[in-house]
Amino acid sequence: MKSFLREKRRSAGYARDRMKLLLVSERIECSPQMIKMLKNDLVHTVKKYVTIEEDEVRIQISQEPPILTAYIPVLKKKDR
Amino acid sequence: MSEVIVITSGKGGVGKTTTVANIGTGLAMMGKKVVVVDTDIGLRNLDVVLGLENRIVYNLVDVVNGSCRLRQALIKDKRHPDLYLLPSAQTKDKTAVSPEQMIKLTESLREEFDFVLLDCPAGIEQGFKNAIAGADKALVVTTPEVSAIRDADRIIGLLEANDIRDIHLIINRLRPDMIARGDMMSVDDVIEILAVNLIGTILDDEQIVVATNQGEPLSGKNSQAEQEYRNICKRLLGEEIPFTDIHQKRGVLKRLSGMFRK
Repeated sequence: MKSFLREKRRSAGYARDRMKLLLVSERIECSPQMIKMLKNDLVHTVKKYVTIEEDEVRIQISQEPPILTAYIPVLKKKDR
Repeated sequence: MSEVIVITSGKGGVGKTTTVANIGTGLAMMGKKVVVVDTDIGLRNLDVVLGLENRIVYNLVDVVNGSCRLRQALIKDKRHPDLYLLPSAQTKDKTAVSPEQMIKLTESLREEFDFVLLDCPAGIEQGFKNAIAGADKALVVTTPEVSAIRDADRIIGLLEANDIRDIHLIINRLRPDMIARGDMMSVDDVIEILAVNLIGTILDDEQIVVATNQGEPLSGKNSQAEQEYRNICKRLLGEEIPFTDIHQKRGVLKRLSGMFRK
């Protein structure tokens, strides 16, 4: 289902999302690859303390002012 | 109160020279005394776009070196009595002029003209530094493509680092049909990404090629591009001109076919 939805998405949306990520990372001099690594490290660290939904983790850096936001859903005991 | 405005983009081929030619002509037609300056030393082009290539005797480098007086190098456009061109040199390279010399030059042009429009070369090296040295204000030209937008962002950063804070964006070569079907970033997308003031949106218009072939700006063709260039001129003069919604320009038939394609 997810891949079907993704296929329907037109190219402008991709361009917009790629540019937002790229320009923010260029402004703070932190490449998209480094943001990916940051995300992995965060997941790794948080996992030591709580159980999280790893696939749902999102890292976002807003443009002006640049603020790093991490979205990390934590699983409750009964959901595991 | 005269203004020195640099027209820049970072990336080449997005329409800087065409923008300078059309805004220069537009402002001159509105009764302002305008000089357009080609600062692309070694790769001059503003002269051919304006159709003045056969009248060049002296150029910017000659003026800066003192080989001629400023007046001698200025070419008066016979079609528009208030429009002048200061051509660039074709044989020298960008190191022939320094930012300090450019500041001196723009200061003397400021005394004679209401508007000094500087056509900046592509890139971020010496030529760019020369072009922005004496500017009060910058118009950044981009197209709704990833390469142009990335370069525009870099340029905006460099302008700010050089204390030029009065920055306005022109989005060129918009295609309403492609935007409608989601295959081109919209005006709102580009503004959101670059976070800068908008001053003009120009549709992709084949009349631009026709006008350039003929060596005359769009004046009198009454195309959408010409109307929008005129709007940019009015905005530069402080008028509040609302932005035309480019999506409304589509015919009913096209809109219907667009719906079915989804």
